[in-house]
Amino acid sequence: MMAPRRFMWMLLAVPAWASFVWGAPVATAAGAEAKPMTASAATPAGAVAPAAAKPAATAGVKSPDGCVTCHLDVGGAQVDAYKKDIHYQKGVGCSGCHGGDPRSDDQDAAMSKAKGYIGVPKKADIPAVCGKCHGPSHGQASGFHLKDMRTDYDASAHAKALSGSDAGPQCVSCHGSHGIAPASDPRSPVNPLHVAKTCGTCHGDAAYMRNFAPGLPVDQYEKYLSSEHGKRNATGDANPATCVSCHSNHKILEVKDPRSPVYPTQVPATCGHCHADSKYMARYHIPTNQYEEYKSSVHGEALLKKSDLNAPACNSCHGNHGAAPPGISSVAAVCGTCHQSNAELFGKSAHRPAFEKEKLPACVTCHSNHGVKAPTDAMVSMDKPAPCAKCHRNDGSDKSAPTILRMRVALDSLSLGGILAQRELARAESLGMDVSDARYSLKDVNQSIVQSRVAIHSFKLASLVEAARPGIRVTVLAKQAGLDAVHEYRFRREGLAVSTLIVTLLVILLYLKIRQIERSQKNEKK
Amino acid sequence: MGGLKDKLEAWVQERIDLVPIREFAAKKKVPQFVGSFWYYFGGVSLFLFIIQVVTGILLLMYYQPGAQTAFESVRFIVVKVKFGWLIRSIHSWSANLMIFSVFVHMFSVYFTKAFRKPRELTWYSGFILLLLSMGFGFSGYLLPWNTLAFFATKVGTSIAAVLPVLGEPMLELLRAGKDVSTATLTRFYGLHVAILPAVFTVILGAHLMLVQMMGMHEPEGWKSLPAEKRRYMPFFPNFVLRDLLLWLIVLNVLAILAVAFPWEIGFKADPFISAPAGIKPEWYFLFMYQALKYFPAKMGMMEGEAVGVMLFGVGGLLWFLVPLWDTRTPSGARNRTITWVGLFVILFIIALSAVGLR
Amino acid sequence: MEPGVDQNISRRSFLNNLLGIGVVGWLGSVLFPIFEYLKVPPQSEAEPTSVVAAKFKDLKPNHSVVFKFGSAPAILLNGPDGKMRAFSGVCTHLQCTVQYRPDMQKIWCACHNGMYDLNGRNIAGPPPKPLQEYKVVVKGDDVIVSKA
Repeated sequence: MMAPRRFMWMLLAVPAWASFVWGAPVATAAGAEAKPMTASAATPAGAVAPAAAKPAATAGVKSPDGCVTCHLDVGGAQVDAYKKDIHYQKGVGCSGCHGGDPRSDDQDAAMSKAKGYIGVPKKADIPAVCGKCHGPSHGQASGFHLKDMRTDYDASAHAKALSGSDAGPQCVSCHGSHGIAPASDPRSPVNPLHVAKTCGTCHGDAAYMRNFAPGLPVDQYEKYLSSEHGKRNATGDANPATCVSCHSNHKILEVKDPRSPVYPTQVPATCGHCHADSKYMARYHIPTNQYEEYKSSVHGEALLKKSDLNAPACNSCHGNHGAAPPGISSVAAVCGTCHQSNAELFGKSAHRPAFEKEKLPACVTCHSNHGVKAPTDAMVSMDKPAPCAKCHRNDGSDKSAPTILRMRVALDSLSLGGILAQRELARAESLGMDVSDARYSLKDVNQSIVQSRVAIHSFKLASLVEAARPGIRVTVLAKQAGLDAVHEYRFRREGLAVSTLIVTLLVILLYLKIRQIERSQKNEKK
Repeated sequence: MGGLKDKLEAWVQERIDLVPIREFAAKKKVPQFVGSFWYYFGGVSLFLFIIQVVTGILLLMYYQPGAQTAFESVRFIVVKVKFGWLIRSIHSWSANLMIFSVFVHMFSVYFTKAFRKPRELTWYSGFILLLLSMGFGFSGYLLPWNTLAFFATKVGTSIAAVLPVLGEPMLELLRAGKDVSTATLTRFYGLHVAILPAVFTVILGAHLMLVQMMGMHEPEGWKSLPAEKRRYMPFFPNFVLRDLLLWLIVLNVLAILAVAFPWEIGFKADPFISAPAGIKPEWYFLFMYQALKYFPAKMGMMEGEAVGVMLFGVGGLLWFLVPLWDTRTPSGARNRTITWVGLFVILFIIALSAVGLR
Repeated sequence: MEPGVDQNISRRSFLNNLLGIGVVGWLGSVLFPIFEYLKVPPQSEAEPTSVVAAKFKDLKPNHSVVFKFGSAPAILLNGPDGKMRAFSGVCTHLQCTVQYRPDMQKIWCACHNGMYDLNGRNIAGPPPKPLQEYKVVVKGDDVIVSKA
């Protein structure tokens, strides 16, 4: 009877997670002050220590416990480990998880199914076992008031994985089994200083991940180590973001799930949770206005207000797992992933070496970074605060100034010409004239405007004029079409007036003629 | 000038004897009485028909039938061709005014009992001209191939289908298929520009000839009037000049309507969109369309609509044959029944059109 | 001859002359529009809504043509596989007109380097949405594009 049970215990001790749990480095400065993501979703698992815990429960498991007595005799590594477990310290004995009757001396009675003994829980059942207390019941029966983590877990992508395969992640995968410590405890594998590595054991294992999400990258941990967050974390600073700060802990959802804190539209708020908190960020001496700026930026409007998922969130420029500010030299490359033509033209332009010399970041110098606004033609100007005026002088010493002004003239004649043509066409339409062909042609103006705004990044007047010219020609023609239509409208009415005049005269003359004829007819009769 | 005119007359006279024509023109006279005004509507209808022919021929210069070109070519006429907007608008307005004028002409003839012997044939030919005019209207409405026309034609032709036995074949004959399609457009085009004009011209010629042969109808009351009390106006030049004067005014009214209320082109017909709300036939079909709505779904063995359509058929036939059942024709006496029936028909048409327009 | 009769006659001829002028003026106001109408406009034929987008034999594989469809441009392309496809030619980003790039075998928008694959799906650059696809039917030598 004994041998098979022992074998099972050994089995439990073998898996990778177990060796990891015991071998976890004990960090020195693991503070419990790491910023939770949200009050409900991301409270570190260890922080469940209930305020209402009964004093009796803090003294450890009451002796004698039949399980401990016997299993120590048969060499119980688990029992030794369990003595350091938070559960043990709070008065939860082996039977809390494994069931059975610890008061009975009789092995068969203590470990009988009738007494609820379940032995080693099946992996798929572990969430249910832990959930007895850490579930919707909030552990009320045991006198604790614990957070409901079971419900969160059940909604997570991890639970989905477990439902498909026993190898899927469950409570024990992250928290360990017999040496469970609160997350605030440096020994815990989910302590802020260890959690990235803990997640990485599975998420860095391509062979393992293939079983669940073959398309998912497995380099997150590597990247994290290279990120600003990861580098600081490695120095023992528990404040920078770890995996759970962004992904939450128990209710981890897939990125494509709109409820996920890392869904594109949620990312800015998720990052802003820490980065917009001036108190929290004070020790790092970096600005905290990025989220505010971003929300009002053209990118933020597109992503947050128009829900355009193609619009960039924080991670599009900074990276996600490898998050770090792009260096001055790489700004153009980062922006250029989307604004390719602009970046290409800039790269070939005279500004590039000039900016490099002055150590100015490429795009950001004119467009700013987080608060980037939709560019306007007014940016091309020699009057402050136009970006050109930051470097170029309008005092005659700078040969570029007249070129800049000429560029502006080209842009203005395009947009102004478009507006004037639109107005003329609207006038014709309000008169009921059909100018749909001219309206159609105005689509080319829009194209020309867009292309001119791209061409300006070459900072060459000729390229700009080349892009603007077809548009300007269209505006002239369209405006003329509008004028012609209005003229035609007037012509119709004038023509009608003339012909009505002629007809009226003719009617009067005819009437006179009839009278004359009839008068002479009367005279003849007489 | 005078010399040239005389020479020309002499030249023609050598070839055609103009004397009978001259005498006929000199003798032709128009009765002058309170109702003389109504005589003008025949002439106005004729003038509007001439306008239809002229503007119709002009539209033919650019119009291209076919699902891909019909709408575009009408749009082309209106937008690109100089004065195309005017020609097209006048054609549309004139069509409507012509139907109206023909109706007025018919009712004036009806109430003055001008259909009595010997003018039965004139009445019959006139009634056929009215039907042909409505056929012109119905077939021409589809030609711009816009949404409204497409669905109005769909509804209009579907009425034929309710008739028992003949219904389905008639529908297919009208539509050139099960549904309104490009084939229908081609068919209506042929009808509108070839068949109807040919038939109309022949019957119109007969109608006009009959009018000349019988002379103008004199009011029934004149039969008991002494000859010296009957007042006449010479047809030529007095009445003709007045006709011309009115025609001038009508043409100018058309021009004003065309400029101030240009006929819309609408949107290109798309068979796959659902019918827009408020599809109505042209106003001159409205009273029939509206009346059919009041028939219950089933009447005995037959569909209600079929009964309605047949009732209209019978009504139209009776109207057509009024010279036959006007029993007092031989005596030339008054027949109040005729007048009451006419008033009822007018009220019926006006009332149902008004309800239908709402 | 009495002066009155003479006066009458001159008045009559005056009226006749005026009438003549009036008729000529009126004829002018009727005939002018008709003659103008018959003049062939610069664009001599109605443009169908470009339903026939191209001739089949003119459009080689891996080539394309941009045409006016209704009031907007559309693009018909004969893919490298010889399959005809038609899409709205209006880039979903900022409404520029797209073009086909045989070298990339992609539909490409010059404005911001937006790219769509041969099925009109936005695959790179800023376009937020795929291009609307139209139905293509080859009838004889005509490639007819219609809204599906």
